[in-house]
Amino acid sequence: MREMEYDIVIIGSGAGGGVAAKELAPLCADGVRIAVFEWGAKLRDDEYSGREVDMASKLFFDSGGTFTKDRTMTLAYGRAYGGSTVIYTGTSLTMPEDVVEDWDVPGLEFADLHRRSMKYFEENNVHLLSEEDINDNNRLFLVGCRKLGFNVEQFPINVKGCRGSSLCNLGCPNQAKQGTDRVQLPKAEALGVEVITNCRVTNIGDRVCEAVVADPGYGEPSKWEPGEYRVRAKVVVVCAGGVVNSPGLLLRSGFADGLPMLGRSITLHPALILVGEHVDPITNFHGFPKSYYCDQFMKRDRFLLETCMYFPFVTAKNLIGFGAEHSELMRAFPRLQMILVLALDPAVPENRVTLDAHGDLVIDYTLTEPVLDSLHASMLASTRVFFAAGARRVHAPAGTNFFIDAADSDRVDQLIPRANVKPGKISVTSAHLMGGCAMGRDVSDSVTNGWGRVHDIPWMYVADSSLFPQCSEVNPYVTVMALADRVAEGIRNHAGELLS
Amino acid sequence: MKSLPAEKSEFLRILATRIVPETSDLDDAGLDRFFEIIDGALLDRPETVRGQFATFLGVLKWAPAVRFGRPFDRLPGEHQDAVLRWFEDCPVSILRKGFWGLKAMIFMGYYGQPETNEIVGYAPELDGRARFHA
Repeated sequence: MREMEYDIVIIGSGAGGGVAAKELAPLCADGVRIAVFEWGAKLRDDEYSGREVDMASKLFFDSGGTFTKDRTMTLAYGRAYGGSTVIYTGTSLTMPEDVVEDWDVPGLEFADLHRRSMKYFEENNVHLLSEEDINDNNRLFLVGCRKLGFNVEQFPINVKGCRGSSLCNLGCPNQAKQGTDRVQLPKAEALGVEVITNCRVTNIGDRVCEAVVADPGYGEPSKWEPGEYRVRAKVVVVCAGGVVNSPGLLLRSGFADGLPMLGRSITLHPALILVGEHVDPITNFHGFPKSYYCDQFMKRDRFLLETCMYFPFVTAKNLIGFGAEHSELMRAFPRLQMILVLALDPAVPENRVTLDAHGDLVIDYTLTEPVLDSLHASMLASTRVFFAAGARRVHAPAGTNFFIDAADSDRVDQLIPRANVKPGKISVTSAHLMGGCAMGRDVSDSVTNGWGRVHDIPWMYVADSSLFPQCSEVNPYVTVMALADRVAEGIRNHAGELLS
Repeated sequence: MKSLPAEKSEFLRILATRIVPETSDLDDAGLDRFFEIIDGALLDRPETVRGQFATFLGVLKWAPAVRFGRPFDRLPGEHQDAVLRWFEDCPVSILRKGFWGLKAMIFMGYYGQPETNEIVGYAPELDGRARFHA
């Protein structure tokens, strides 16, 4: 086992780790040594093939299909230089003020979070797409929602030189999306931070990490030779491996005894993909895939509607049924309009990341009845939006028939019964993983304080979406960056004390 | 397949023809890609998951004997579809989930092939913006 030594070790290079690295990088000028350990690879630009299975296997854990313990949901989260910022759509929202207040984290104020969020809007080139660059799939959502009187907003997005490949979730093949792989990590490296890819941290001890570097057979070679490493982190360890891996690593490393809330209260924004079929072809897989969202139902029914455009396999597995009808709908791909629904799930301690008897990570998450109610209500609303937009028929996962024809649009309530929302039958996914190392007051309600410092372990910080004490109710990456910015400031403010 | 014994992979092919009828039209190269993709996905999963998948295939093969007196692969197509529909909507959640996993694997094996994108009319381009402005 090779021995290495740094002052600051950051585990993970996504929205949290990438920002923490960039914000701490100026310390390198004072001789502070900083390393970022990233489990995934750094793909070369020409390796972004846009091929669904190929990219999913290279950029996601479990190819984007990590199961929850009861197998009712699959989770999609990134593993790459840039983490999940490589495979998100780049939709950039700030957290609503009332949600920050509900979080009730001591010292965390909306104004502070908002100011930092705006900093990353600026840094990531966040802007609104011009109207002429919005394709039919998105435009029809706007049309449908407006006809029904639903409130619709446009997503600000963080692209530069977007050519509308629609392949954002498979890693942008045009390098247009401004994730940490394009913005924060290169800045950090330019100032002296070392980013070690293909490097999995397996254990954390008292300011010591054990790590394994392996060659996955693609991407740029890691800066370190394959093998086992023992890395001393003289000052600080920052966990930014995401909702599964940050609590998972801390649990495996034996920190659960002093931190009873470790791994608990995860939220996932459980999601469905819904499909409406139009008579004529529409532009759907040409152009930017996600431009609008509808927040009409956030407070009452606890769900969001968003535009989306997915790929053939993901689309196929989100449809109920099989055989001729399923194939017929798949062959209508150029005529399909898609909507993603996100249920705003409550944080309950029983939903958690934990370890099984073999020490393997388990995501123990149960879809509660209120969440299933939200998913049902979202299907009804989406179906109405499709028909209002002119769809000839709609496929709803809980429909009594595979297709609901436009002629039956006034019977949607009967044709999509709540009883048909059966976990394990309908495809429920998550790409917004939150919680598990929640911020709060003390060990009785949380894992860290409001600055991401782990309770009673002054050399350990968390800087990713596992900090969220409840769900963000909006797409979370900007909030992750704002929180990581705070965490880095907290470390800098204590640098003298920590370095001594 | 490295992840499943030969008789299980042959049974998977039979199931695929009911779930995605177009798999019957795959040539040898297409079938190789179909099995290669599923194999890759199964080999990436823990051994216990592979074991559960193989067990579920066995359950699906022999469960119809209770009602129809014959295993799945010796039933006519409409009875096979009836069995699959029962599993998809099964009151026993573990069987529903098993069927969902089976469907996902078969969809991945077929729709995950870039070669089948054309069949469904899916043709993204690097410069999609230019295409929809054209």
